Amino acid sequence: MVITVRRLRTTAQYVSFIVLMYGGRFGVNLGSAVPCFACPFVRGCGGQCYLLGVQGVLGFGMNLESLTGAPLFSALGWVAVFIILTALLGKIWCGWVCPFGLVQDWFSLLRRKLGVRERMASEKTLRLLSPAKYILLGYIAVLPPLVTVGLLPSSFYLPFCNICPGKALLPLFTLDGEYVAVLYSTFWTALPAVTAITLVGMFFKDRFFCVFCPMLALIHLLKPVTAIRLLKDNDSCVGCGNCTRACPMGISGVSRERERFDVQFDSCLDCARCAESCPSDGALRLNWHRRTLFSSSRLYASRRFRKP
Amino acid sequence: MTTQNTPAPDRVADRKRRNAARIAGEVERELQSLRGREDRLAGYDYFLDLLAGGIHPGAVERRTGMPALNLLCIQAPLELIHAAGFLPFKIFSGSHAADALNAGGLPALTCPLLRSVQGLLQFEDSLARRPWVLPTTCDWIVKLPEMLRSTCPDAKMPDHWLELPHLKETDAGREHWRDEVFRLKKFLENASGRRIGRKDLARSIATYSRAWEALSRLEARRQAGAIPFVWFLALANTFFLDAPERWTASVDALIPTLPDNAGRKEGRIFFAGSPVYFPNFKLPRLIEEAGIAVTGDDLCSSGRIFPGGVSADAASEHELVAALAQRYHQGCLCPVFADNDRRVHNILAVAGNFSGVLFHVLKGCHPYDLESHSLENALKRQGLKFIRLETDYTAEDSRNLLTRLEAFRQTLGEA
Ligand code: SF4
Repeated sequence: MVITVRRLRTTAQYVSFIVLMYGGRFGVNLGSAVPCFACPFVRGCGGQCYLLGVQGVLGFGMNLESLTGAPLFSALGWVAVFIILTALLGKIWCGWVCPFGLVQDWFSLLRRKLGVRERMASEKTLRLLSPAKYILLGYIAVLPPLVTVGLLPSSFYLPFCNICPGKALLPLFTLDGEYVAVLYSTFWTALPAVTAITLVGMFFKDRFFCVFCPMLALIHLLKPVTAIRLLKDNDSCVGCGNCTRACPMGISGVSRERERFDVQFDSCLDCARCAESCPSDGALRLNWHRRTLFSSSRLYASRRFRKP
Repeated sequence: MTTQNTPAPDRVADRKRRNAARIAGEVERELQSLRGREDRLAGYDYFLDLLAGGIHPGAVERRTGMPALNLLCIQAPLELIHAAGFLPFKIFSGSHAADALNAGGLPALTCPLLRSVQGLLQFEDSLARRPWVLPTTCDWIVKLPEMLRSTCPDAKMPDHWLELPHLKETDAGREHWRDEVFRLKKFLENASGRRIGRKDLARSIATYSRAWEALSRLEARRQAGAIPFVWFLALANTFFLDAPERWTASVDALIPTLPDNAGRKEGRIFFAGSPVYFPNFKLPRLIEEAGIAVTGDDLCSSGRIFPGGVSADAASEHELVAALAQRYHQGCLCPVFADNDRRVHNILAVAGNFSGVLFHVLKGCHPYDLESHSLENALKRQGLKFIRLETDYTAEDSRNLLTRLEAFRQTLGEA
């Protein structure tokens, strides 16, 4: 069997899914600063989504005394771990690791099997929605401290988890009915609504939730220190648009770009589907700190599309 | 008394016969020369047989049992046509005899390719009984029906026009073209009496993707020097002469039999410009004679004979048609577009891998003619060797061309 980027990515997604969702049952713990939706509300998970940590850090653990001593060091430690993990893999965390990403990919697969047309993917809609993830990140940043200083009730302490569809969907994979029932009883009333919208959205649009994901926004803000880059040789690009059509986020900028070398736009997931489907030799490259991991080629692309 | 004079209809029929014989003679001569080559491989025979079987949609229909649909240029999505149950047939002609047929009635500097096509269409019935789809690419193509009618009042007109927006980077242009392709789908459905569903589309896209994979592998071998230009051209020219599956299988079978590597690395050039069609292989043969190897080209009759490589993971009918529309417009490297700089950049980028660039201009072919000058300057700035050869389907300038090619050979270094 030929090793292709697609196979590597899918394998990585499944391995990550198992490790992050069930790892705890086998003693695996990747810590509290995982840069993807490794949901801590999944009983027996193998690592914890750092958005939980972010809310905790910004809320000073609900307790201003945590600004000193051991709690501070531990918090800063996790910040450092998060930055290092993000620096190493950038948005590979989104495209190759995130368990919620894989769940979304299943919905896309289903849609394709049924031959249903993707919606909400027009350039205009996506442009309009692109600030949403930063707004959500702002929401995460602002609410927890307000709880700590007593301006908001404590139920606002984890404002994102309380509206995160991951929290509603990922625990289902524990297959533990009782646990899920208890968890569901603690939900905000908004969560079922958000989850319902997400479920419908995931079916009609590839990676629907990623459009709004504050983790994606956070990783993107750290781009200056991350090692992964998507690079484009504009002279080789014919403008065919294959990359845009292959892109789960519908990014048209890669194809449209005519000058810039760096085409890792803010909603990019580093999944490399664009480079895989680009028919121009060397037009798109995925780099890890100056080392080229994959470079588009006509021969590779030609093999990619032969199956109906 | 004029009883000895042949009545007019017979004279016409006579002339037709004579012309047909002349064209057949041309084809035969070129085939003889290909068959007689030392570097001929058994794997080439299939393609030679296709050329020998006649460059006519009727021949293709007999071969495949599928109804053909006539086309010119490379912008009408082949997959869509194929999904409707037609075999796309690109009308082309490299015949000088057909070209000479109507030199009289046309502007002095008419593109020889179009003049030849027109000559062919005048006395062949290839257009009759088959749908004819024409995209509005260059001026000669746009005016072809009018020119046809001027010499032959009852000539068949296109059944469907595809209006090609000459701007491909603008949203307006792209949207217009997408609508055009959806209209083409309607037309095809009416013409064939069957609906084009997503499964048909997916199947046809896969069929052409496989053909494109074969072409891509062939291209890689050619760039390594394993296939002489003349052969590559002959192979690519036959793409529309059989079912794509069979053509693909024949290319796949040929590839392992190609010599491991051929010839020296120096003196390899890139061939760009106006298309070259069988049986007019004058220029490729002169290039060979001058000792120059062409290991890459940008011709819509050769390396770009069909676009291929449509990313089509999306599986709804709408998305598949839209994907085809994008690939055939945005990704098209024909020089007729107003926003043409991607093409020029592409050629500049590719040319870096070669010792030089030969630019072919068919006398009267404006889009290529125009671009040759800006390209020449840009390439020379990059320090690349460049030669521009303007010619037509006649053989008279052969000596002259050869002399220039030999001089060019000297500049490439390596005697
Ligand atoms: S797939 Fe490659 S050639 Fe096509 S538009 Fe994207 S970068 Fe350009």
